[in-house]
Amino acid sequence: MPWTAPPGAGATVHIWNGYSLGERDRRWKAVKENAGNAGFDCILIPLGNGADGRYMTQLRCSAMALPTDGRAPIIIADRSSTNAWVPEPWQTGREWAEPMGEALLDLGMDRARVGVAGLKGGSVTHCSSIDGVVNHTALEYVKSKVPNATFDDATDVIGFARYVKSEEEIAFVRESAQVASAGLDELIKLARPGVDAGALYSDALSRLLELRSEYFPLTLTIDSIGAQKRKRYVNPPIGRRLEPNALITNEVNAIRGAQLTQVSQPILLGKIPDEWKPVIALHKEVYEAGLAMIKPGTTFRALSDFVNGFGAKRGLKTVMQLQGCGYGDDGPLFTAKARSDRVRDLPIEKGNVFVWKPLAMSADEKIQFGFGGPVIVGERGCELLFKREHGLVAIV
Amino acid sequence: MESPADIKWTGYSLAERDWRWQRVRESAAKAGFDCILVPLCVDGRNLHLSLEQARGTRSDCRFLTCFDNAAVILPSDGRQPVVISDQESGNDWLPEFRPVEKSWGESMTRALLDAGMERARIGVSGVRRGFYTHGRAFHGVVNHSSYAEVLRRLPNARFENATEVVGHARYVKSAEQIGCLRRGAAIAAAGIDKMIELAKPGIDEGLLYTRVMQRMVGLGSEYYPMAFYSGLHGGGRLPRFEDPTEGRTLQANYRIANEVDAVFGGLIAQEQQPIFLGRIPDAWKPAIDLQRDMYYAALEHLTPGQPFAQFMDLVNSFGEKRGMKSQLLMHGRGYGDDGPLFTPQNRGGRNRDLLIENDCVFIVKPIAHSADGTFDTSWGGCVLVTENGGEPLVKRTPGMVSIS
Repeated sequence: MPWTAPPGAGATVHIWNGYSLGERDRRWKAVKENAGNAGFDCILIPLGNGADGRYMTQLRCSAMALPTDGRAPIIIADRSSTNAWVPEPWQTGREWAEPMGEALLDLGMDRARVGVAGLKGGSVTHCSSIDGVVNHTALEYVKSKVPNATFDDATDVIGFARYVKSEEEIAFVRESAQVASAGLDELIKLARPGVDAGALYSDALSRLLELRSEYFPLTLTIDSIGAQKRKRYVNPPIGRRLEPNALITNEVNAIRGAQLTQVSQPILLGKIPDEWKPVIALHKEVYEAGLAMIKPGTTFRALSDFVNGFGAKRGLKTVMQLQGCGYGDDGPLFTAKARSDRVRDLPIEKGNVFVWKPLAMSADEKIQFGFGGPVIVGERGCELLFKREHGLVAIV
Repeated sequence: MESPADIKWTGYSLAERDWRWQRVRESAAKAGFDCILVPLCVDGRNLHLSLEQARGTRSDCRFLTCFDNAAVILPSDGRQPVVISDQESGNDWLPEFRPVEKSWGESMTRALLDAGMERARIGVSGVRRGFYTHGRAFHGVVNHSSYAEVLRRLPNARFENATEVVGHARYVKSAEQIGCLRRGAAIAAAGIDKMIELAKPGIDEGLLYTRVMQRMVGLGSEYYPMAFYSGLHGGGRLPRFEDPTEGRTLQANYRIANEVDAVFGGLIAQEQQPIFLGRIPDAWKPAIDLQRDMYYAALEHLTPGQPFAQFMDLVNSFGEKRGMKSQLLMHGRGYGDDGPLFTPQNRGGRNRDLLIENDCVFIVKPIAHSADGTFDTSWGGCVLVTENGGEPLVKRTPGMVSIS
């Protein structure tokens, strides 16, 4: 029985929803196929899994039950929200568990094998949420409504659909990368000794918004170049002015067409110390050599082994840092801490989009240099979307 | 106002930390819990029913640790809390904490066992909606997989909802918190001033949105999306946006409504200011006057020690004498999704018996409707409860701003 928006439901929030119906059908088909291959009768995107919900519906807040047998999904939407993809969703106010349970019953899933997206961290999505993103109380209620159904993790079912981007998505990845680069340009333009660090943060963030990025936190560290313990800011720093020889590292993020990308280039308010130069030079080499390896068929094992071993020949260190671009928390995720062991044998595919920003370090790890931005994987190699000249920006 | 570099505030004191922990411990002990568990909660980007609810998902851990993400086990017998976090480093409150190991579920289980809670009565905050907090999250905010693992691995412990235990500790604000909310309210008011300065027919709405946000973040507010509504009167409900819009330009005779929030010290302040791009029609003025008078009457009656019932009835019936309709729109201010929540949707009925207390802070923004029901207006801001009634945290004048 369809649900309708409750009387007096609050305002419906409008969000960007410009992908075509063809794109919707491509996504739904890919997910159905992955789900069928994994033996699921239905995929449930429950309350809590906002990223997959948005990917499948273009709605700000939704839940979805998608049968794998070709029937139309039941989509539950927030208040009065609809769009071209989802012209007639079930609508709810603050009650989500009941309609989710009813959706499964309406679809005849009372004895089904239900794949739950976002139950655990995935191989290529929800990578930093190791315990997933699902709301506990709502899912427990849904389970109680269909006590004979089984519920298993299906994060990768949607994850591997998100992993390969369409041409429509790639067009927005390009826009997003341009906006992020403009934000970095603004940082470089304004960062000077004496400048209020909070105002700098605000102005750079505003540049991204002015270019119509959806909000995503700008991340900065601002410390003297020799500092070992760096403080990370995801909001405007309070009580700080930039000082000479401040090293500003950054992650400048932008979202266009729901595609999150990131660029990163350190800025130094002073002359580059000599001891940094070999590390930066090493980074340039590993950055470019790694780029040459990012093409269809290369496994992440091959790429990460290459990058992680690259610095040793010079008595220095290098670490692969790579993450996916997309609807958020995309993977695979490789950092100094996260090695994504379970995807090491996964091959890179055409249509993948990654943030490529390896890290080079001195042997004692006191000097660390990272730089990079988004790359799109094509037929034979990758296209670099981050066009700034390699290196540490020195503002003297 | 001071620019961010000149702000001297360096964070909440250790005394504030101890005050918060003690309030929670005392409530927990009174409710018969051996400890309070604030488990891993879903992140606000993924659990996003509304701006407030999204910000509220991890609000209990922010209240107890000043970390953006943490699980907390606070024994009610006076021992120090055990905190698990994926933060890179500690803070002044908690220089040391337990890192997340294989999973949050495993780390929380181990911490509960280490604290001797194998057979305990454990109060879980955020597992359901509360009166004072998480009021918009009917199903709570707790992460499933990690919490289910805890339940499975501690079969002899009893887990019960304790959202109100932390909620009530958050309900009454300390002097330090009030100071942060006061600054936040002033920043939000500065954002409104920027909007009034720039809003005129022909301006790109997205650019206006950006400049207001730039002003507030440039005064040291954390980024908290402004809710922005605009359009001609009479065309139905105005559309609401929470990001800079594309392809929309303000026109003459547009109405603008907003919720302008600023976050300082982690606490969300809000101010609200309706704007009309033209001469305000005479037909609207009785409702605007009603709204102002109702707001001031509400301040007078926002006194500690009484249940909300009388206050709600006063506001909801205030318009009747003038042949108009009035509605209470109000909720708590704090770390996010603070209550109690009074909206036209929920009518606030479940809150009738809750007590108004000294040093609570609310956003008070009652709605007045014209006699024929074709116009309504809401104006408001942050109000502190004192013995003498409600005290606005920033001085502003109720009404609709006309920009001709």
